[in-house]
Amino acid sequence: MAGTKKTTKEILQENLKNEKPHSLYNAESVKKIKNDYDLFKKNYLEKKGGEWQTVPHTILGSEIPRDMLYAPVHAPELDYDFDLGYPGSEPCTRGIHPNMYRGKKFTIRQINGYGGPEDTNQRLKYMLEHGATGLSVIHDLPTTQMYDSDDPISKGQVGMSGVAIDYADDMEILFDNIPIDKVTVSLVTHYPSNTAILFPMYLAAAERKGLSFDVLKGSVQNDITLEEVVRSGPEYIPPRDCFRIQVDNIEFIKNNVPGFNFNTLNGYNLHEFGTSGVTEMAVAVANAIESLDEMVARGYDVDWVAQRLAFFWSISSDFFEEVSRIRAVRRLWYRIMKYRFGAKNPRAMWMRCHVQTSGISLVREEPLNNIVRAAIQSLSAVFGGVQSLHVDSYDEAYSVPTEQAALISLRTQQIIQEETAITDVVDPLGGSFYVEALTNEIEKRILDEVEEIEKIGGYVAAIEKGWIHNKVAAYFCKEKELIDKGVIKFVGSNVYKSGMAANPIEVFSYPEGVEQRQKAKIAALKLRRDNEKVASALAALENACRGKDNIVPFSLDCARVGCTGGEIFKVFKKAFGLWKPPVFW
Amino acid sequence: MKKNNAKIKVLLSKLGLDVHNRGLITVAKMLRDSGMEVIYLGNALPDEIINIAIQEDADVIGVSSLGGAHLTLGKDLIDLATEKGLKDSTIFIIGGIFSIEDHQKLKEAGFDEVFTAGATQEEIVGAINGLVA
Repeated sequence: MAGTKKTTKEILQENLKNEKPHSLYNAESVKKIKNDYDLFKKNYLEKKGGEWQTVPHTILGSEIPRDMLYAPVHAPELDYDFDLGYPGSEPCTRGIHPNMYRGKKFTIRQINGYGGPEDTNQRLKYMLEHGATGLSVIHDLPTTQMYDSDDPISKGQVGMSGVAIDYADDMEILFDNIPIDKVTVSLVTHYPSNTAILFPMYLAAAERKGLSFDVLKGSVQNDITLEEVVRSGPEYIPPRDCFRIQVDNIEFIKNNVPGFNFNTLNGYNLHEFGTSGVTEMAVAVANAIESLDEMVARGYDVDWVAQRLAFFWSISSDFFEEVSRIRAVRRLWYRIMKYRFGAKNPRAMWMRCHVQTSGISLVREEPLNNIVRAAIQSLSAVFGGVQSLHVDSYDEAYSVPTEQAALISLRTQQIIQEETAITDVVDPLGGSFYVEALTNEIEKRILDEVEEIEKIGGYVAAIEKGWIHNKVAAYFCKEKELIDKGVIKFVGSNVYKSGMAANPIEVFSYPEGVEQRQKAKIAALKLRRDNEKVASALAALENACRGKDNIVPFSLDCARVGCTGGEIFKVFKKAFGLWKPPVFW
Repeated sequence: MKKNNAKIKVLLSKLGLDVHNRGLITVAKMLRDSGMEVIYLGNALPDEIINIAIQEDADVIGVSSLGGAHLTLGKDLIDLATEKGLKDSTIFIIGGIFSIEDHQKLKEAGFDEVFTAGATQEEIVGAINGLVA
């Protein structure tokens, strides 16, 4: 593949070269401004000294150099129609809807999950009662890693960091008395394998509520990056098989649950694991390209498929980089869809995204400061024009959030929406010399990294060869050094140290007895269910894994007859074998 | 209390199913760069960690847990080490996200050193050198 096919960058360069007829600044003005700018810079440096250009060092930043002052000289060829356009129109730099938040405010979607499904059900209802406009559920470590609550390896971890879901009945309990035909639900399934296990349980629960699949709306994650790169786990299936499951999920969900985003390309966890914001986006874009290529190879129309693609970004602390990044990837994705895939349906070219403020930027010392950090990060997300937002809670440097801390996260979003008038105007930073220059630079850097991945042979190959693992490890080891040296600063921690000794806040304590309760439920399930049906559903799934058919209808049958997540993962491991991911340090 | 290894030998492992390994990989690199020998085990349960530590004659066992299982699995690890006669000859270190109360409980359970997010290379390497010497 590599070498014989044009890279995405080459395709865009060919198509975009003659498309800037209406430069915003005439050449003469730019020349004069350039002269004056250079003079201003020279005079300043002669008088005051110092550096005109600095490199910002912030947590998860891209270290893109910054001049002291931005002017039209930084993007002299800016063409309003071509580079920015109108929101809702090509190339969507300014937003995917003409009226943006005046039409639909960003969805307030806080992530929830702890204890058993009974516990999280209560928290979900609490969030809805207080004005959350979407739901997001995270699973505990055994569920995420696809082991049952009664597996010896799950000991002490059931209901920790998320909710325990062992089989379809748990999904039913989780959404008990919650109108999942009205509110959108994001299931944080992370991995393709996990999506093929948990989403069918969600569908089985919906069937029991008497709901047809086409009324369900929401997202799954379904991202190979999470399963094969970001995750640390005891057992992995090989990347090619994992990618196949990712595409099987896409195909099944698009055909059968049309209101669901079939994958949420998760830059978030990769960024948080340790990459620059540029790599975060390049990897997600490369993965999206490869998935769409595979769907086209399976005979689908890209205009039909891509309407349900969504992205998930982590928004960290370099304020203007974050605003610009979201604008940059929105324009880049539009152009990729148009020129690489020949898409015609505008909806298929939208870079729709959910974002979450950065967990790794939270600081243990003086934890209330985290409210400020998350609020500033939220602002950059909103200036970037995102569709949906989660604000981290101040106590998450200690544990999952208490109800009170979760409420402050919700209120942060409501304050932005209701008190500040920020949402009244579309893309309010558009046209800023600085933001437009940074948007151009970031778009270019993302495209360069996408090309780097394509030259390796594509994203799955980049995983198999350890390219991405290596890149991440190099990034976070260097970042750790910069933090230790105080180059990347954390107020109250490595600068302005507080010397605080004790927990200054109330920290969440997990409900007790969840592990016992889940174990008892599984034991009862195994007596109650039709174990012959279970065995034949698992055998049919294994057969599908070994063949070419889409596996998801078979895992849906498994969910319907009461197979557990651990039983389904065992089938994957048996059919696909195990893979050892590279670890670099 | 150093064993018969040319360099200080450290076995590092993620406890149980915890998915977050950024911190542990960083620690692996910093220990290696400080001249120690590092065995990176990945995710494992206490019995596997102890078995490998015995096989490898590790001076230090460092485990990482950011998923909430530090008390349960951490205590299992120490209990098993005591049972196998390893507790007094080996240094036990745990790192992760813990409340201050749990930090204290981990010390009481028998960990020689407990690190939370933000611990620096100097602190970690210094502690190990001090404990093994």
